[in-house]
Amino acid sequence: MIRIDGLWKAFGDKEVLKGITLDVEEGTTFVVLGASGSGKTVLLKHVIGLLKPDRGTVTVDGMAISTLSGRELTEARGVFGMVFQGSALFDSMTVFDNVAFPVRERERRIPHDELLARVIESLRVVDLGEDVLDEWPAQLSGGMRKRVSLARALVANPKIVLYDEPTTGLDPITTNSVDSMIIQAKERRGVTSMVISHDIASAFRVADRLAVLYDGRIAAQGTPEEVRRSDDPYVQRFLSLWFEKQ
Amino acid sequence: MGRIRAAFEDFGGQVLFAGETLAWAFRPPFRFELLLQQAAAIGVGSTFIVAVTGLFAGMVLALQGNYAMRQFGAEGYVGGFVAISLVRELGPVFTALMVTGRSGSAITTELGTMRVTEQIDAMESMAVSPIHYLVVPRVLAATLMMPILAVVFTATGYFGGYLIGVYVSLIPPGPYLDHTKAMLDVPDMTHGLTKAFMFGAVVSLIATYRGYSASGGARGVGEATTRAVVWSSVAILMVDYLLTFISIG
Repeated sequence: MIRIDGLWKAFGDKEVLKGITLDVEEGTTFVVLGASGSGKTVLLKHVIGLLKPDRGTVTVDGMAISTLSGRELTEARGVFGMVFQGSALFDSMTVFDNVAFPVRERERRIPHDELLARVIESLRVVDLGEDVLDEWPAQLSGGMRKRVSLARALVANPKIVLYDEPTTGLDPITTNSVDSMIIQAKERRGVTSMVISHDIASAFRVADRLAVLYDGRIAAQGTPEEVRRSDDPYVQRFLSLWFEKQ
Repeated sequence: MGRIRAAFEDFGGQVLFAGETLAWAFRPPFRFELLLQQAAAIGVGSTFIVAVTGLFAGMVLALQGNYAMRQFGAEGYVGGFVAISLVRELGPVFTALMVTGRSGSAITTELGTMRVTEQIDAMESMAVSPIHYLVVPRVLAATLMMPILAVVFTATGYFGGYLIGVYVSLIPPGPYLDHTKAMLDVPDMTHGLTKAFMFGAVVSLIATYRGYSASGGARGVGEATTRAVVWSSVAILMVDYLLTFISIG
């Protein structure tokens, strides 16, 4: 579903990605794990075409995203939903308008009742009720904003959902609930997910496959168990701190 | 050398952005609701401040005009002088400067904040062009509303000039109005309206570009807003000179 092949990216003299190659299979959750500054978000922005690679290709659902631009790229993004690190809700719109936004843009003549039903259903997937429909993003807690952001990402039934640090800054209970939502989105909607995270516990909970990114390269890749048994020294050090705590 | 190169790159970016905006402006869906919202924010929202500045500008023009012309015994021409100055020059220029300060800065701040909080990225990720959704309605609204605001400025300015000219400087109302009719012509009005139309496009394109390309958090948004106001003001006077030169060069 997502194929990244030999991806290189530099900003000025700083090389951020150095030849990343990975495959995300349809209907699975792939987690890219790494410390802050390892290039995770830059990698994710290449998948959705917000950044262009210096070298290498990104292919999504058969489309060469990295070569598209303008209107073609805008249309190609129809397969995606994305949950941003800071939620990125439109602060000039209510929760209803935020969640309704992708549907309104794709189905401009949708009757209001049908739109409302889809928004409510999408909010229900993330355990939110109708009482938040008229709230403004600034009135919501961080966890609720994250849920609304996920509801907005799911409402137009995307084939692929991208998550940028979905559990950063959340308390353990909300983190657990966000993990459950990612798993439910896969199980209930059959979406392919790519999650960028530095949260090891969360990554091992939701991932079918994962990759550990270090200094712009993939240090280990495979099932959670395969990565856990990796003999790469950085991966060992990165994971050991957390596993020792357990 | 690096700064000169950066300035050229910046200018090139602005030109490409303007081209992209123009291309998206003719693509459906046409978002009339957003256009009306922006027209209300830029046009209706600026009417009061434009009218007040217009009134005082006209009053000052009448005082200065009377001061200069009475030395030649030509006080009756003050009405024509006020009208020509407002219609051809001060109306469009002052209006554009006021809209830059009020609406241009607000547009840059809003889009800049949306950029640094990833709201623009979010819009792109939902297969919606931010240029189409955010920039086109603002640029169209400013371009269409600026001539209307310039007319408001000019009308209140002429009214203010009349009050001062007739009731303070005691110029007889007959010659005041007659010389206005004699001196002011249709080409003067089209010249002024053309300027206002161009200023609307230039100011809104600079304001939206600065916001759209903002980076670096709150400080970056602040810098983008300052640049938008400074460059819009400079651009207004440069375009003003160019259009005046073409008109009467």
